[in-house]
Parts: sequence; structure tokens; C-alpha cells
Amino acid sequence: MSPELVFQQALNGLSFGALLFILAAGLSLVFGMMDVVNLAHGAFYMLGAYVALSVVQRTGSFWLAMVVAPLALAALGLVLEPLLLRRLRGRHLDQVLLTIGVSLVVVDQIGVVWGREVRSLAAPAGLDGSVALYGGDYPLYRLFVIGFGVALAALLSYVYSRTKVGMRIRAGVEDAEMLGALGVDTDRLFALTFAAGAALAGLAGVVAAPVFGLQPGMDLDALLYSLVVVVVGGLGTLGGAVAGSVLVGPADTFGKVVFQEFALAVIFAIVALVLLLKPTGLLGRIRIAR
Amino acid sequence: MGEFKKNELAEKRGYSYRLTRRQFLVATSAAALAACGPAAVAPGATGSAAASPGKTLKIGQLLPFTGVYSELGNSMRRATELYLKLNDNKLANRPVQLIYEDDANVTATGIQKTQKFIDQDQVDVMMGVVPTPLAYGIRNAVHAAKMIFIDTNAGGNFLTRDVPNCTPACKSPYIFRASFSSYQISYPIGDYLSAKGTKDFFLAYANYGFGTESAADFTTGAKKNGGNITGNVAPPLGNADFAPFVTQIKNQPTKNVYSFFSGADAVGFIKTWNQLGLPAAGYKMYGAGFLTEQDVLKEVKDLANGAVTSLFWAVELDNPENKKFVADFQKQYPLLPDVFTVQQYDGMRALDEALKKLGGDTSDKDKFSKALEDVTFKSPRGDFAFDKSTHNPIQDIYLREVKTQNGQTVNTITDKIAKVTDPGK
Repeated sequence: MSPELVFQQALNGLSFGALLFILAAGLSLVFGMMDVVNLAHGAFYMLGAYVALSVVQRTGSFWLAMVVAPLALAALGLVLEPLLLRRLRGRHLDQVLLTIGVSLVVVDQIGVVWGREVRSLAAPAGLDGSVALYGGDYPLYRLFVIGFGVALAALLSYVYSRTKVGMRIRAGVEDAEMLGALGVDTDRLFALTFAAGAALAGLAGVVAAPVFGLQPGMDLDALLYSLVVVVVGGLGTLGGAVAGSVLVGPADTFGKVVFQEFALAVIFAIVALVLLLKPTGLLGRIRIAR
Repeated sequence: MGEFKKNELAEKRGYSYRLTRRQFLVATSAAALAACGPAAVAPGATGSAAASPGKTLKIGQLLPFTGVYSELGNSMRRATELYLKLNDNKLANRPVQLIYEDDANVTATGIQKTQKFIDQDQVDVMMGVVPTPLAYGIRNAVHAAKMIFIDTNAGGNFLTRDVPNCTPACKSPYIFRASFSSYQISYPIGDYLSAKGTKDFFLAYANYGFGTESAADFTTGAKKNGGNITGNVAPPLGNADFAPFVTQIKNQPTKNVYSFFSGADAVGFIKTWNQLGLPAAGYKMYGAGFLTEQDVLKEVKDLANGAVTSLFWAVELDNPENKKFVADFQKQYPLLPDVFTVQQYDGMRALDEALKKLGGDTSDKDKFSKALEDVTFKSPRGDFAFDKSTHNPIQDIYLREVKTQNGQTVNTITDKIAKVTDPGK
């Protein structure tokens, strides 16, 4: 591999990693707070992309879609948590099963409303060109994705560590029962967290749509990759999602072109290795069984 | 992908299939989903049978209505229903009952549904099947039951060939194909381009049975006239991010790239190809026709301009049968027909012609098979006939170049390779 090629593939890997971060941040947040692996996360991602498609078709504005789709998903999350998940609180396995059911319903409804054909979304005007970089032209939108991922990580990190909401989330991750005993309305906090997780999935759907397109099955791919990221990085922490996506994105990109015959095996080899050496993930916390 | 396990029980029963972990996961969730709703059974023309003394003809249609190929299933269902509507819901003198089953793109599910057609529904003829692994998986069961099966999509070469030990599949007197073999859409374009003087090619293909088969057939065709393959990339099927692969293409010197992708993969490949500036850098895209079919073109539009692909049909094909077919289809549905529609439509037509010869009598399966072998007709794709020794169609292959005219992106026919026959081994 020439240095130019390595540089370009590194950019490909980092932009993929940035998308994975946006996707995995929500999954990780919900797990950290509620101890629920939300298997509807991929379906939420898919719904975000299709909502964006409709917004762009109606208004022509990608940027509006980037606001509307996360809000729509947040609203869905705010309804689903009290309506379904709350009834099964404390029964984690049942909750996980429930999220599988939610994902089936959501994906099927997407098929009914938007059809099951392959769709695509153009990058917004201004970002649809390319810039000359080391080794040739590189698409501007993918650079934007990297920047957006970094900015979102910084924003989330600020919210976690510097705001009251972030403090409560961290406390909730540590011990939700104790937080409730101290007078915090945990029902509300859980609903908001679930909504925020759904909104992040929706946001990932919008940002990824110009790169990956929209098609049946995209929910399963997204879910698989986001699970890989949080398992490698460590469930329930923001740093874990960052570490996981920065590792998995480039590893997947280089793995696919260097070990073509084992394209999908590389990231799972990493998962296996991490689970062997550090079962909590790279930056995961050890959870006390309750 | 991953490791495969043989299913011993399935082998004992006369068919073999391999189940990947991913398929298993999809299968179990699909099964859960399927349990929620009743099977899709559409009675055909039970009302309009008064004039015909014939017994109802049962046609089992095994198609994907859920999962990634669901749109193909819908296309083929439209074709079936259009054909019946235009023929008073009868084939020869027999009213038709259609039994649809959804394989959900899961091989194990499809095999079960085929067994249901054989044991429970006792259909007179079976049609459909989109993925090649499923067509291979049901081959032995269909053959053993002497059930006439008209494959209306799956293009794996082995289904209509002599194969030692019949692994993974081989031809059968009871199996016909109304679509194509992957050889037919891959070998001729390699032969054609290299004969015209384009010698060096780089390959890019989805890394699954059908993609590797297409790449191998193209390679054989290109090498026949002194062509040369300089390298390849092979993304996994259903790959999300094409940038790593297109970056590899851009960093190697061979400008002519033969590719095999379809559906979502094709859209992703063509969009990334443009985003990374390959047309400006002088790279040229060739491919098997599915790369630039309508489902792809309506999303990528002029980004595909200049791509040259080969297929046995194009919606723009200029012959009376195709003009009528497209017009009939558009009268019924608010969209253009696609290649899957043509395959299914021709499958129905072939069945209809055979039944007419038999006077509607399907009781003797060997006579039924013989009647199908002798079927010839003018199809929207040109002259249609089954190769008597393989049951694969003998058909013209068209070279098509993508052009955008008056705001419409279409495949324009540039040349024709007449009467392409699968070698059969």
C-alpha cells in the first residue's frame, strides 16, 4: 500500500468510525442508564433515515431533516418508554425481547409507508463536491461526517460532565435506585434517556443516508455494527463508544481491503479478543450484578 | 461468510442446505413475524370458470415478500397477475389457483415451503425462487417429487448443468428456467469487449456465489481473446460502505472495471464511484445488466452515464412484443416493468403454451416436461426457446449503454449478441 492509499483509506475508516459513533452513542447511553440493550436501535436508525428522505422530498432541505428526524424519533421514544418498557422495569431480558418486537413493527411499518425499494439521499448542497487532498480528490461530505462526529462527542461529553442533566445521567448509570431515593424523578429521567437514545439513532440515520443509502435490511447492519462498537468500547460509557468506533471503523475499512476473504471476520476477531482480555470492553466499567 | 454446517436430517430427506448464523437469526425472527399473520393465499379465477370444463390448475409461487428481496417478489407477483388478467384467469382450458408462499430470503424457510407445495398443496407446477442458494437447496426435493418447477429468477449456473455428484445442484428433467444463467449475462460481454480490443480489466464484485460466478464467467470470456484480469476487489454482499473498495480501484492503473452488483449494492457502488471522482480520472464502468436496471437508475440517475452492461432485455427494447408488454403493464400498474417482471411473465407464457399443447392435461409429468421443452414464442426480450438438453433459455444478449436523454436516464441498446446458449457443463 502506497502512503497516499493508506491516507485515503484512513479517512474512509475515520468517517465510517464517526458514523458508528453517532449510532453507538445512543445505544450505549440507554444501556448505561436502563440496563437494556435496545435491539430496536437499528430500526430507529432506519426510521430516522426514511423520515429524512420525506423531509428532503417535501422541503429540499437536508439541514431541516437533521433537526426533524431526531425530534420525531425522540417523540417516539417518549411514547414507547412509558407505554411499554416501563411496565417491564427490572425484567431486563423481557425488556430486550420487547425491543425486538418494537423493531419488527417499526421496520414493517417503514416498508408499508415508504415501500421496500432501494432509495438514496443526496448530500446537501455545498457538501456534495470534493476537495483535493493528499492522494487525490476526497468527498467533502465524508470530511463533514468526521467533523460532525467529533463535535457531537465533544457536546455529549460536555453535557455528561458539566450539566445537571448529565450529572443525573451519570448518577443513574451508577445506581438508579439510589438516585430515586434521593428524590429524582427516575421515571421521567428514564423516558428522557430513552428518547435521547432514539434521537441519536435517528440522527445517525440522517447523517449516514447520503453515504450508505436506504434499503430494507439496513436496520440489521446498523444494529450489528453498533453492538460491536459498544462491546469493544465498553457498554454504558461515552468514552467507550468513542474508543469502540475509533477502533472498529478503521479496522473494518482496512480489514475489508487487506484481508478481502475475511472481510467480516476482522471486526469479530477484535470483539473476541477484547472479550477474552477485557470482558467489560476497553473503557467499560465493571457492573455489580443486582 | 463464516462457517457452514450440514443438516443431516435434511440430507436424509434428499435435499441439502447450509444455514449461516445470520440466516438463522433472520429465520427465527421472520418465523416469529410470520406467526402473526395468515399465509398469503390468493384464489385465482374460481368465479369465471363456468365456460371451462378443466380442473383448477394449482400454481405454487415461492417468492420473497419480506426481507431484502421483497421488491423482486412484488414485481414477479405483478407479472403473474397481469398475465392471468390478460388471459381471462386461465391457462389453456384450466382456471388457475395461485398459492403464494414467502421465503423471506431464508433458504431453510424456502425449503419448508417447497415441501408444503409438494405434500400439502400438491401443486401442478411451481414457479419463482429469487436467491440461487434456495434454488439449489430445493433442487433434489423437486426432482424426487417430479414436480415441474419453472425458475423465474435464480441464475446460478449449476441448476441447468451436468454436474458431477450433483453438488451443489444439477439439471433435472422437471426443472426449467425462464430467466438466465449467470454465464449468459457475464461471459458474452467479456468475449465481446476483448474481441473489440479492450484487453485489461479490473474486477469488482459482490463476494457471494452469484458474484464470484459472474466474475469467473466474465474472466473466461475476456481471456478467450487475449484479455487480462489485473486484479479485483470483492466487497461482502450487502456491504454498507463502498469507499474502501472504490479507493482501491482508484489507486490501481487499469481503467476498465467489470463489476457485478445489484440493488442497494449497485446504488452504493455507483454513488461512491462518482463521489471519489473515478469518471474524471478516466475509469470506465462495465457490468452485468443488474448494475443498471431501473431500480438502480431511478436512484443514481445520470451518475451511471457511460456504464456499459449486458442483459437479455431492456425496457427500451424496440420490438412489438416488448412495446405491447410495457403498455399492458403500465395500464395495470403506475410504474415501468423491470427485468424480474419479464422473467416471470415469460415463465407464465411458457407454461401457458405447454398446457395448450397438452390440452391442459398435466397428469403425466414426463409429457409435461416434453411439452415445455418444445415451447417457443416471441417474448418481450426477443425469441424465446428452452435449450432441450439443459432447460435454460436460448436468448439474445444486448449490450446497453446508460445515457441521460431529456431528463430520463435509460439503457440504450448498442449491440446484440444473438442466441447465447449456456454451455451446460
